[in-house]
Amino acid sequence: MIAESTQRFEALEAQAQRLMAIFTRAGYEHVAPSIIQPANMFLDVVGESLRARTYVFTDPNGDELCLRPDLTVPTCRLHLARHPQGAVPARYCYNGSAFRYQPGGDTSAHPREFRQAGVECFAASDREEADAAVLALIVEAVRAAGIATFHLRFGDLGLFRALLGALALPERWRRRLLHQFWRPEAFRAELNRLTSAEALRAPALKAEVIDRLDPSQPSTALNALEEYLEQAGLALMGTRTLPEIAERLLAAAADARETPLAAETANAIESYVAVKTPARAAVRALHQLLRQYRIDLAEPLQAFQRRLDDLDAAGVITDEAEFSAEFGRNLEYYTGFVFEIVVPELGPKSPLAGGGRYDSLLGEVGAPVDVPAVGSCIHTERLLAVLQGETA
Amino acid sequence: MSEKLIFALPSKGRLMQQCAEALARAGLSVTKSGAARGYRGEIAELPDVEVNFVSSSEIARFLQHGTAHLGITGEDLVRETIADCAQRVSFLKPCGFGHADVVVAVPICWIDVSNMADLEETSQVYWRVHGRPIRVASKYMNLTRRFFAQRGVTGYRIVPSLGATEGAPAADLSEIIVDITTTGATLKANGLKVLEDGVILRSQANLIASKLAPWSRRARRAKAAILERLSAGPGAEGPPQSKR
Repeated sequence: MIAESTQRFEALEAQAQRLMAIFTRAGYEHVAPSIIQPANMFLDVVGESLRARTYVFTDPNGDELCLRPDLTVPTCRLHLARHPQGAVPARYCYNGSAFRYQPGGDTSAHPREFRQAGVECFAASDREEADAAVLALIVEAVRAAGIATFHLRFGDLGLFRALLGALALPERWRRRLLHQFWRPEAFRAELNRLTSAEALRAPALKAEVIDRLDPSQPSTALNALEEYLEQAGLALMGTRTLPEIAERLLAAAADARETPLAAETANAIESYVAVKTPARAAVRALHQLLRQYRIDLAEPLQAFQRRLDDLDAAGVITDEAEFSAEFGRNLEYYTGFVFEIVVPELGPKSPLAGGGRYDSLLGEVGAPVDVPAVGSCIHTERLLAVLQGETA
Repeated sequence: MSEKLIFALPSKGRLMQQCAEALARAGLSVTKSGAARGYRGEIAELPDVEVNFVSSSEIARFLQHGTAHLGITGEDLVRETIADCAQRVSFLKPCGFGHADVVVAVPICWIDVSNMADLEETSQVYWRVHGRPIRVASKYMNLTRRFFAQRGVTGYRIVPSLGATEGAPAADLSEIIVDITTTGATLKANGLKVLEDGVILRSQANLIASKLAPWSRRARRAKAAILERLSAGPGAEGPPQSKR
């Protein structure tokens, strides 16, 4: 797109003003974080797929900068500039440009320059309440803008974490499965590896080193490893430390001695991931499914139910919302509840709005502790296109 | 004379020499025209061809935009430079020289890392300990991104490096590198090893055609003549399918 017409510009501005009025009335402070952001910190915290699409440049001073690819990270930085300790309750809203390289070219469906209108809610102590409030507000804004028919999709990465927590697994396996969750193929491969004694014992790493390590005596591992490197004539190079190398070798040594994951446990995990149901029926469906495997997720499921009830109380009709255990897999920085608002005019591949909980991002951006955070934003060009009937 | 075929050839270094030799073996005498150090040339046997001498990476750009019809340059540079490679160029024929593998190399002292899956796990521990992702020094930003994404490695950041990339980890400029290697000796001398499944591309010089160049009938004839000479000449390699 070379330019937008004055008419369109004004229509977007007017629409934004209406959205922002709704957000500020709900108690969200209107902020305008910088468009130009320091590249380093920003690029460290966004996932690689977004990183590859971020416009990065060097200024005359030699500093690496970027055009913000979204407004969530800039809002986190703004919050930390005001409250370096991080864990101070705050609610912000914004409307502004974001920039992303579009591998398929700059088109009106996928513009490289677009405007996001959204909200971020930091350090609210009741997570479910905050999740519901943010989604309810976005739904209110979308409705007020003139969208009558839409579809909600939910996921909950926190439930998956709770499931792993309820299963008998070594902590390092939990970490691995959680990390691989958003990559279905790698996830399945890891699950297969964990259920196979042979695969666990496979000498993926130098057997002669592994054999020297006793996983029950981690403190002796450093010495054993140092000795081995010295005998092999290998000097440590670079920033990665000996304890890091030892940690991985110890994990491999422990895996080789571990009882493989029971097939039943692997089944429980796979059946959970496959759950796709109307959100209202999700709690019962998950209870029933997990009861077969004698897994009790009473508390997290109660929290899930409470969030639904809060949404209903706030006037969001959740009857037709869909819960999918897999949903949110492809969005790496979310940590809990995730959602999308989809409209028939645009289809599921171009959601009108989306958001969710990201409890580790503020910590990664520089807060000394993890701070609960949930946010959402509306794709304003898409909203206008639907309202003006421009979608094909 | 815009309808002539523009043939981009490397302007310096070993690749320039090897190109000249290969063309000579095919019975094509390339001469520089105009001033002695000019960047234009011609092929005595093919009057419809105009030669442009440019740097190897510039040849990839020429082919990307159709500024040249044909070019000889490394496959690595073309795949790195042109994101939508298949839409813009065709690889006509590997040349049999300019061999170089683009590889992922890590410090030899990382005895717990032998493949890409290890690297992914390592990057998580690294993040936890150092609060930042593993840095990959490379001039191959796009090849690296594509390959790491395919292998599910995410916890990394590319640090652009334009020269002496193999020295970056020792200088604490990066933890690992993606670079070209022929024998692996330079990597080893710098305390690095190639991961088992870390070969991104086995590259060599290729004769490449741009799909975007203005292909006049005259240019198409000239292309056929060049291809025929290069395929038939003594020492010429077989067709691309028979290679590797």
